[in-house]
Amino acid sequence: MTVALAPPALTPTAGGAVSVSVAFPGLVTREGCFHFTCEFLKHVLYQRQQLPLPYEQLACFSQRQLLATPRQDEDVIRKVYASDPDNNKKCQQVLGDLERLFQHLEIMFSLTLVPRVLILLGGTAVSPKELYEINLQGISLGGTKESLQTAACVRKLFHSLFLADVFSDLRAVPTLGVIVMVQGHRNCGIDWFRPKLNYKVPARGRKLTVNLSCSDHGGATLSSNAEVNFALNDYIWFQAPVTVKGFRYFS
Amino acid sequence: MDEAADDLKQDPLNDCESLQIHVEVHQKPNSTVKKEDIKGSILRLLNRHNIVFGDYKWTEFDDTFLTNNVQSVAVVDTELKLKERQPIYLSDCNLFIHIFHLNEEGPSTENLEEENENIIAANHWVLPAAEFHGLWESLVYEHEVKSDLLDYVTTTLLFSDRNVNSNLISWNRVVLLHGPPGTGKTSLCKALAQKLTIRLSHSGKLVTKMFQKIHEFIDDKDTLVFVLIDEVESLTAARNSFRAGTEPSDAIRVVNAVLTQIDQIKRFPNVVILTTSNITEKIDMAFVDRADIKQYIGPPSTAAIFKIYLSCLEELMKCQIIYPRQQLLTLRELEVIGYVENDVSKLSLVLKEIARKSEGLSGRVLRKLPFLAHALYVQTPNVAMAAFLQALSLVVDKQFEERAKLSDCV
Repeated sequence: MTVALAPPALTPTAGGAVSVSVAFPGLVTREGCFHFTCEFLKHVLYQRQQLPLPYEQLACFSQRQLLATPRQDEDVIRKVYASDPDNNKKCQQVLGDLERLFQHLEIMFSLTLVPRVLILLGGTAVSPKELYEINLQGISLGGTKESLQTAACVRKLFHSLFLADVFSDLRAVPTLGVIVMVQGHRNCGIDWFRPKLNYKVPARGRKLTVNLSCSDHGGATLSSNAEVNFALNDYIWFQAPVTVKGFRYFS
Repeated sequence: MDEAADDLKQDPLNDCESLQIHVEVHQKPNSTVKKEDIKGSILRLLNRHNIVFGDYKWTEFDDTFLTNNVQSVAVVDTELKLKERQPIYLSDCNLFIHIFHLNEEGPSTENLEEENENIIAANHWVLPAAEFHGLWESLVYEHEVKSDLLDYVTTTLLFSDRNVNSNLISWNRVVLLHGPPGTGKTSLCKALAQKLTIRLSHSGKLVTKMFQKIHEFIDDKDTLVFVLIDEVESLTAARNSFRAGTEPSDAIRVVNAVLTQIDQIKRFPNVVILTTSNITEKIDMAFVDRADIKQYIGPPSTAAIFKIYLSCLEELMKCQIIYPRQQLLTLRELEVIGYVENDVSKLSLVLKEIARKSEGLSGRVLRKLPFLAHALYVQTPNVAMAAFLQALSLVVDKQFEERAKLSDCV
């Protein structure tokens, strides 16, 4: 399947808030939504200097190190970066936290519709330094057969982000705590995430919103989905109980 | 809130009809049910248990819905309104039910803007915080202190809410608590912020230290922001001493900056500035004038000391360090029986004597004495009440001896 590339819509709004809209030409799966969230989170972590290497590389690198089968081309990196046991420990910690986060996100997406996800950098959940939002309210869900391939959609998402060039003019930041908030149904039964009944999306800090939607399809969007609309106040925020702490090789 | 009161109002002839009773409901951290649903169950619970004598806390429920969703239900602060302990008929009272979730996260720190800066500019708590849970109850003062502070801040926020013109009636949103060290001024500020967040069922924040970026925190109009400035005399040492030539000019600039900041902040309707000081004389008069409430927090009275000890012993019995459990009488109960010594009152009278000779010690010292008593004179995993009281008595004497030695050295 090919995914048509529409020019990304980049809309700067008041107060340093920027939004990027991505329209997928068809239905997507729930699992797909989980992958968009995951990949975007990994991307933000690397782009905002909370990880010294892109997540996949870091994970792969660290695993090989654990297996202790060094390859020639890695020797230099190993010597420079990873010889420090402190770095290694921090790296394992971050990877462990993220892995757990991804596992539970996957469960969350399978249990409930997720209209919005927030990635908060620095500060607290109510006053972060930077806020990244994935808005899935325009998404239309479908089964595996009738939906677009997830990989193609992820490519389209990143292509849009790349064209919108949202990360290049940001100031460098120190390592920060990263909090993930997920909106889900009150009765979805997830027990890992902590419900935050009074949570309001903060207005403080820099904000980037990625609006995902589906165009030309037969199905209804998430926001026009009867279930969601019927009880929008039954959708509450959940906070991941881990704060992922970014790290650097040189500090 | 009103329909809650209507539900329970059956006999409006009773004299405590207008009595306002606050019920704090601590929702379990993983509970996601709506407040309205909890409220219904709570009202049914209170209907079944219609009479309480003073403060009362439920932690076990026969209703499975409450068991699953609620940690505790507490009728609180009745002693702030009622001088005498008397039966309270909940169905006749004006009930205010506050349902809250605690935030388990600790404070987050706000660093200075510069790169790689490790200087902490501010601590920042999201209220109500788990860290401050139970703090309010642990602070023992004369009745008026706590209720005055609550009433003051409530009025402050009411005036802001109704948009009272601040040029005609001026109020500054500044509270100054002063008094000797260890009397719980800082704790009281924190507890007050927590209490008000729960009471007004706002979301709240407590910010310490930082002044410069405070505006960013205030922006959200729905959030109550408490700014805690500890030891305010260090920031606002009297400018008079500058005229006497003993204060460097930098210090003057700091005072001026702080005063200007306060004047700016007080325009925001959702801010309360809480300050504490050990040395009131040193504070700049211009600052003292800005504080609407200047509350002296003194060392605890014998009655307060007794209460503090009682709560300490209760905790040790709960943790089974003091074992077996012994029922201790309160001062009022002792008074009722006329301080007659018998099997029931014996231990309580011993405690009263210890409280009497502890007079002059600060709350901070008092709260650590049970620990010292155990460490120095007990050392076994569990101990009987009588033996523990003996140890406590010894440790109080030792405390005064040490004090005498210290003052001799000086």
